[in-house]
Parts: sequence; C-alpha cells; structure tokens
Amino acid sequence: MADVLKLTVPGKAEYVRAVRMTAATVASGCGFDIDQIEDIKVAISEACTNIVLHGGPEPVDYEVVFEVGEDTLSITVEDRGEGYDVEGYVEPVPGEIQEGGGLGIFIIRALMDEVDIRSEVGAGTFICMKKRLLAQAV
Amino acid sequence: MAMSINANNNAAEGLWDFKVVGEVDISNAHYFKTQLEAALAEKQQNIRIDLEDLNYIDSTGLGVIIGCYGQIKKDGLTIKLVNPKPNVKKLLTISGFDKVLL
Repeated sequence: MADVLKLTVPGKAEYVRAVRMTAATVASGCGFDIDQIEDIKVAISEACTNIVLHGGPEPVDYEVVFEVGEDTLSITVEDRGEGYDVEGYVEPVPGEIQEGGGLGIFIIRALMDEVDIRSEVGAGTFICMKKRLLAQAV
Repeated sequence: MAMSINANNNAAEGLWDFKVVGEVDISNAHYFKTQLEAALAEKQQNIRIDLEDLNYIDSTGLGVIIGCYGQIKKDGLTIKLVNPKPNVKKLLTISGFDKVLL
C-alpha cells in the first residue's frame, strides 16, 4: 500500500513555498534525481499558485495529498474554491509574449508524466499529477 | 523573504544590471515587478538580469519578466537573462522565452 501524506494549506501565496519544500523532501525520499525533483517542485508550485489565484476573493484552504507508490509519486492538489472553466483554457503558444494566462498549466503538463485537471465554476479545482521513477532510466 | 534583488545602473554599458538571488514565486513576484518598474521609471534603458544565484522561478516570475519585456519592447528596449541554472534554463526553454530572453 502506498504511503500517503496529506496537507491542509491556507490558500495564501506565502504557503506555496512550504508545499514546494515538502514536495522536494518527499520526492528526494522516493529516489528521484535532482532534475526530477526540480520538475516536481515547479509543477506543484504551479498547481498551488493556480488555486491561490483562482480560489476566489477570500483565501480558501486546499488539500495537497502525496501518494508514494513503488515507482510513482502522485500528487493531488484540490480546493473547494470558485474553480474556472477548463474548457475555456487556451494552451499558450511557446514564446508568445504573455503574462500569466495558462502558462502554469502548460508548465505542469510539460514537467510531469501524467496530469489530470478538473475544474468546475463554483465547485473547485482538482489537479492530479504523477511522476514515474522509471522514466529517468529510459 | 526568500529572494533579494540588486539593481545597478551600469553607466558604462548603458543598461540596468539586475541580480536576482534566491527564489521567485507567487509570494514575491510582485516585489520583483515593482523593482523592475522602479528602475525603468528612473531611467529607460535595457535590462540585464544575472540569474547565477537564482535557485527557483516559476510562471509567476517568468510572467513578470516577459510582461516587462513586452512593455519596454515598444520603446525599442530589451531584457537579457544571463547565467541561468539548468533548472531555470529548462523552464525558459519549455515556455519558449529562451528565444527572446537568452
């Protein structure tokens, strides 16, 4: 059975770093190399940032769950905030000048092996991302 | 704060020399933005940002840089990033910003 670590995080900008540091510690314990740990740190920060930015006018607590499997680290970030329209998300064109505007989600997809994003206006946002240990040996 | 910024008016080369140290994320990206804006308000000139000691940046920090670049490009100015660590360079490449900023 996978080890599970759950965090409840205040939906404020200053706590994103705490989640990032936790992710680095967990990923290091899993045996990921430095490059992969950096990928995981950025991906989880982007997910948390997404929730802090889109959670609503008032900070909403969100849950971060790490599942340490045999060859996979799964990280789920979920809130009950305002959510946003996933269908309306337009993937940015690399290199095109923009500020914000979906770059975070684009980066998560680029850095992790598997990404599932669900969000519903009024119901919240759910992001599950996985990084496989074996990927580094290929 | 997990970040410090040093801005120096490099008169010899006619540009702003920035050095960003530590980590840039959602908690301090706004401060980074205000520092860039303050420098440009003082003097409109190109910007060079030394990333040698920048350990971490994500879309919030990249957004600040690219947003600033978009603004000053209209005036014929530019931003150049130098000495990025491999993890920072990887993000610049993924986002495609390496083509205009490196």
